[in-house]
Amino acid sequence: MTKNELGRIVGGTPRAVENALAELAAGYDGTGLRLQRSADEWQIVTAPEHAPQVAAYLGADRLRLSPASLETLSVVAYRQPVTRAEVEAIRGVNCDQTFYTLASRRLIEERGRRETPGRPILYGTTWEFLECFGLQSLDDLPRALSPEGALVLEGARAPSDPA
Amino acid sequence: MESQAPRVSVEGFDGPLDLLLELVEEKKLDILTVRLGDLADAYLARVRAMAALPADEVSAFLALASRLVLLKARSLLPSLEPIPDEEGESEEELRLRLLEYAIVRERAGQLGARLLAGERAFHREGGTVELPPRGGEVGALASAWSRVLALASRQREEDIVAPGERYSVEQRTAEIEALVAAQGRMSFATLLGDAPTIGFAVVTFIALLDIYRRGVIDLAQDELFADIVITRREATSAQI
Repeated sequence: MTKNELGRIVGGTPRAVENALAELAAGYDGTGLRLQRSADEWQIVTAPEHAPQVAAYLGADRLRLSPASLETLSVVAYRQPVTRAEVEAIRGVNCDQTFYTLASRRLIEERGRRETPGRPILYGTTWEFLECFGLQSLDDLPRALSPEGALVLEGARAPSDPA
Repeated sequence: MESQAPRVSVEGFDGPLDLLLELVEEKKLDILTVRLGDLADAYLARVRAMAALPADEVSAFLALASRLVLLKARSLLPSLEPIPDEEGESEEELRLRLLEYAIVRERAGQLGARLLAGERAFHREGGTVELPPRGGEVGALASAWSRVLALASRQREEDIVAPGERYSVEQRTAEIEALVAAQGRMSFATLLGDAPTIGFAVVTFIALLDIYRRGVIDLAQDELFADIVITRREATSAQI
């Protein structure tokens, strides 16, 4: 549910709702539940620490992704919104199949179109993506890289534009 | 592993950049300083070792191979350097792509590790909670109860007077269907008649539910514990 919805229902300012949400989130610490945020949407979910028990209760299968799918997913996650051509340029391979796989597993979704010639479709990660990876929000994406990776990031800061 | 995805994967490599990066790491070279042309031979050897693959999958590998060979040729023959405005990317552009890809692969690895750790969240399944219907009144409940009591006492008398009649749901279903077909609309109270026995009421109710389940009738109740109104569903809207 969105912050505005919450505000309308309880009759509070967005500011007050935000504070209340922060308080609620803090209150869930150590309770097995927590708040998950995707853009402006908030939802109560189970805490990832207890995933084995919840999964056993629900009979849920563990999500499995091939390395290729994971690569595509990571580009979409860190670069969103992003077009398929951009992902393909970075990975150096055709990504039709992995996009299809990720979309059918509801890990990525369309996010409108880029207003450039051809109006390519933009993709971003979904609510389910956060859930499957136990992320509280996109801010929670692992940022730290290995020392080599950090060095590489410096080198790659200027994005190339391969044909 | 995904089963349905025919991935662009050769001997475990997810594409040409993956293979090139693998070579850099195998040889413990620094991605920032390695002369990519030096990797041309090793890269070609790997590509040559690839089993017969669909042409479109191999072509991406070959495109990078030609690029590497060109870079190598340039480094061997510096006089080749000033080829004007060559098509394709320079070594630095290729290096940038490789760097960028290295980060992607590292992040993919991190995400994969999260998946493997299985530390995911679950939301509550099942949608909204059904709250009890509104409008319940103590008075309505009390009067319903008194009706039940009256019914029960009447039934007790009948029990004493005569053995209970036997009703079959099938038979009652047929009767009700005929009535509904004829009248189109009636109430549950009418169906029960004046002094129904509990057995008769139960059979009538079950018959009614069965007819409703088959989509022949609609049921409506204006308020809690009120009489149930039965209407024949129009043939067009009947469930198939």
